[in-house]
Amino acid sequence: MNKRYSKGTFLIQVIVTVIALFYLIPFLIVILYAFKSPEEIISSSPFSLPERLEWDNFSQAFEALNFLQSFANTSIITASAVLLIILLSGMAAYSIVRGRNKFFNGAYMFFIAGILIPYQVIFVPMFVLGSKLGFINNLFGIIFLYIGTSLPFAIFVMAGFMKTIPKEIEEAAFIDGCSIMRTFWIIILPMLKPVAAALTIILSLQIWNDYLLPQLFLSDNSMKTLTVMQSTLFSAFETNFNVGFAGIIISSLPILILFVFMQKHFVKGITMGSGK
Amino acid sequence: MNLDGKNIQPIDAAVSAKPTSIFHKKKKANSSSMQYFLLLLPPLLFFTVGMIIPLMMGIYNSFTDWDGISLEKHWIGLANYMEIFKDEMFINSFKFTGLFMIFNTLIQNVAAFVFAVFLDSSIRAKNFYRIIIFAPVLLSPILVGQIWTKMYGTILPSINDILGLSINFNLFSSPDTVLTGLVIANNWQWIGYWMLIYLAGLQAVPKDLYEACTVDGGNWWQKFLHITIPMLGPSITICTIGIATGSLKVYELIVASTGGGPGDSSKSTIMYIYDSAFMSQRSSYASAMSVVFLFVLLIFAFIQLKILRKREVEL
Repeated sequence: MNKRYSKGTFLIQVIVTVIALFYLIPFLIVILYAFKSPEEIISSSPFSLPERLEWDNFSQAFEALNFLQSFANTSIITASAVLLIILLSGMAAYSIVRGRNKFFNGAYMFFIAGILIPYQVIFVPMFVLGSKLGFINNLFGIIFLYIGTSLPFAIFVMAGFMKTIPKEIEEAAFIDGCSIMRTFWIIILPMLKPVAAALTIILSLQIWNDYLLPQLFLSDNSMKTLTVMQSTLFSAFETNFNVGFAGIIISSLPILILFVFMQKHFVKGITMGSGK
Repeated sequence: MNLDGKNIQPIDAAVSAKPTSIFHKKKKANSSSMQYFLLLLPPLLFFTVGMIIPLMMGIYNSFTDWDGISLEKHWIGLANYMEIFKDEMFINSFKFTGLFMIFNTLIQNVAAFVFAVFLDSSIRAKNFYRIIIFAPVLLSPILVGQIWTKMYGTILPSINDILGLSINFNLFSSPDTVLTGLVIANNWQWIGYWMLIYLAGLQAVPKDLYEACTVDGGNWWQKFLHITIPMLGPSITICTIGIATGSLKVYELIVASTGGGPGDSSKSTIMYIYDSAFMSQRSSYASAMSVVFLFVLLIFAFIQLKILRKREVEL
């Protein structure tokens, strides 16, 4: 890597380092404060190291977040929604691309129009309909809504990929007497892995961090998600807000760890999902 | 062909069609269409119930005086729509959201582009920088709002005390600076996301274009202007539309930081719609605002697409 380290490159290196520092300051503050005692926040300067590590902040935040429960809720919602979105969008894309007649083209346009409608502009009637269908305080209900609102984008991405799959493979299966459904299940679905991986990353990030829907639909304490619990952190600990900072660390650690291990997939997923 | 959902019974016909299909070509085509249709049915159901029916309900309710709870509902025509354009709160929230969008689109686009160019150069530890700049994307906007509220309100002012300065860091406490504060917080979170898209775009630019330019005696600025920017046209389109529509939808960040204040100076449109529906129990009015807002979003996306696509061609 020791090629051409010119003056210009050095200048860029300095600039980028300064930018990175600007990015790091909030993270640094969060970490430093999360370990300080309530008295220390008042007396010491923001950048001083904590005198001793106040692990008590973390156990308090853990409790305030009802962490195990809210983490489980968020995981269940995200995992099931993403899994079903991928399966359903794969089914739709397969039938649209291979069905190829006016009806399926029309269905495609119908789905695609949905991309232009963000759920943020229909959440009021969504809530009205949802309360009639028993979606309130019901994990399945919110999963249903995530699926419904994410399908257009997922189908768009899936259909784009589906067009690149050569037909010959399926035709061989048809000759062997495989039905269309079986062919989809056994042959097509495994071939969708690359798009499925990309979609998993983007959709998980969206659903995991979503706040509006769970806050609206899940008011029962045993069903609240991480984001909803996060939103109460600082109002509950107004004076000893270092507990809030500890809560920020606890609740964002899972996804940060996941990112570190799956960095390549994140980058691929984001560029692929929005790149086409 | 009759696909109105009533003749779903031929599943077994589809299965049994296999041996006879050689003789009945038309029947085969029909039964395979039916199987494709059966695959399409579940996604269609989720989409219709999850999006289309609420959309229709919202449009219908916007012409009524429904409060969201009572059984009574009266058709009042365009009264809700007339009210929107006289509603100062709506206009203010709309102005705020518009400004938020404009600043975000400009700053995020330029910064993401520049960061990507920097990280595509031959500097060291690129991956390290990339991780740091991308990391805030992973946080929920709720956390970002909380972090910056504490930054502006407590942490940065105490730096003033230490250094004996009097810089006004308390951006969320005045209606004049709250927009700046939110734009900074929002950019801190999202620049890394768009930077990745620009980086992918940069890596797809054929290297021999630059070499040809070098041969012709072009300097780095000419390369940037005549190769990098035109080649990244599609990425610019994606990022501009993505950032603009994303910032128009802003809600969580504001809920977790200013709560729409001070006063109502940072109330976004989505936030006002939420409050109207669930605080002041004006479901129908909220629906009317949603319809107007959706129209604005659509017009915006359409214009942007037109302009940016045209520019792509010209470049």
